[in-house]
Amino acid sequence: MLKQNMVSPVGDILKFLSILMLLVITVISQPTFAAVEGEPEGVIMKNPGADLWREVRQRNIAIEGISQIKSVDSGILINPEADRWTRFRVDQLVNYAAIILAGLALLLLVFYLLRGKIKVEGGLSRQMLHRFSDYERVLHWTLAIVFLFLAITGLTLLLGRTFLIPLFGQEFFSLLASSSKEGHNLFGPIFFASLIMMILRFVKRNIYEKGDLTWLVKGGGIIGKSHVSGGFFNMGEKTWYWIVILIGLLISVSGLILVSPNFGQGRVIMELSHIVHVISAIILIAVSFGHMYLGSVGTEGALESMKTGYVDVNWAESHHDRWAKECRDNNRVISADKFNRLQGKINSGTEESGSVAVEGNK
Amino acid sequence: MARMKFYCDAERCIECNACVTACKNEHEIPWGVNRRRVVTIKDGQQGERSLSVACMHCSDAPCAAVCPVDCFYTTDDGVVLHDKDICIGCGYCFYACPFGAPQFPENAAFSSRGKMDKCTFCAGGPEDDHSSDEYKKYGRNRLAEGKLPLCAEMCSTKALLAGDANMLSDIYRKRIINRGASVLNWGVNYDKVKLNT
Repeated sequence: MLKQNMVSPVGDILKFLSILMLLVITVISQPTFAAVEGEPEGVIMKNPGADLWREVRQRNIAIEGISQIKSVDSGILINPEADRWTRFRVDQLVNYAAIILAGLALLLLVFYLLRGKIKVEGGLSRQMLHRFSDYERVLHWTLAIVFLFLAITGLTLLLGRTFLIPLFGQEFFSLLASSSKEGHNLFGPIFFASLIMMILRFVKRNIYEKGDLTWLVKGGGIIGKSHVSGGFFNMGEKTWYWIVILIGLLISVSGLILVSPNFGQGRVIMELSHIVHVISAIILIAVSFGHMYLGSVGTEGALESMKTGYVDVNWAESHHDRWAKECRDNNRVISADKFNRLQGKINSGTEESGSVAVEGNK
Repeated sequence: MARMKFYCDAERCIECNACVTACKNEHEIPWGVNRRRVVTIKDGQQGERSLSVACMHCSDAPCAAVCPVDCFYTTDDGVVLHDKDICIGCGYCFYACPFGAPQFPENAAFSSRGKMDKCTFCAGGPEDDHSSDEYKKYGRNRLAEGKLPLCAEMCSTKALLAGDANMLSDIYRKRIINRGASVLNWGVNYDKVKLNT
């Protein structure tokens, strides 16, 4: 206490003196500055070294040197895009990809618990309609399996260091990542090929029509309970189709640029391709969660169309009423008995003879 | 502990490519892989300069940050090395490195990448020092022999320096001080300006 009392007057005096000095200095210095302005300027020392490093660093323009080592980009001393790519991968990509995919899976689980399975209106009629041919189903499952394989191997490479190395250890994960890389590179072109076949086979049925807007307005029948209209494919399916095709093409082209570095593409092109590849892949995987959900546990009767190729008439009525009407008009409804016979399945005693016939045919 | 660095003096490098050759020979590096290269900018024009570049052994190495299998490590000497038994040859370090240091031998069709190879600062790899495994995968371990990287040791103009960062700074600072005037005269037109001494 005593000390503080003694110090405070001294502090006040010091404060006052410093303010006074500041004022005096400002007043005195004013004419001095004015005098300097009149004198001729000193030489602006341009350091040749500074120019060199500015060019090496590619500050203003991209400058490529020459090198006796003849290979792509060997004349570039510093690639400024490299750091941007590194920051993207380390700071954003890994975190956001994990959060988006995990969040979406959780959201679907919550949605399933709230909404449950969307039942077919009026129950199953046991009368069937032929929907997808064998070729179409094989094509679908080829693309689906290749897609799943690529998604899993790709995510292993993307998220493995964060989530799998702590689990498996570095050596086992290295083995896993190495096979993931080789498998990813090998099956990528197969994805591209089946995507092209998917375009050729399904593009006609996926062009948007007049009634599709109503489907969108009514929320596709997922959220509400109202009846929504649809043709062979409804608006939601068409949108999924175009997402697969367009984003799939983006992934395929950028992937092909990455997989074969022997066409003279430089690092910057590959960095950009990688960014395109990985962002579109995350989007496609995220949307595929929705497709897989609706195609399996989300909607009653939906999986049947891709399993057997046949769908229940009532399922068709509630999801694709225009297509169902067209089928009825053309007498394409198949009875339950005929369907069972086509599937080689017999479920009642009266069909015993039919069963024998099928067995005999084999 | 020392903090190993390379420094290439652009005012001294004469683009003789001896560092490239010495490196290839010392480590028996396969065809198509070059751990070091000399780049000349403004070739044949005023202000032409050459620089020898290899792995810079960054303190915060981007290759290590992006590696999906985490195969990079920094030694006590500040040398950035990688484990070829862990490396999967994905090429991400090649995208992340600003200097183009990581190299990939072509091991199959479509130039599919083999395990990455890069400058080791002549410090070998994770295997036992001077073992034949280490030599096969990473080349000679000169640091363990008490020697500096060969590229810098045999540089005829002493443009390429290798060693502890503080010592390199001291050497380069002395050069700059001694060279002061000559740098002033180099590439600058003083016709119409007065020197402010």
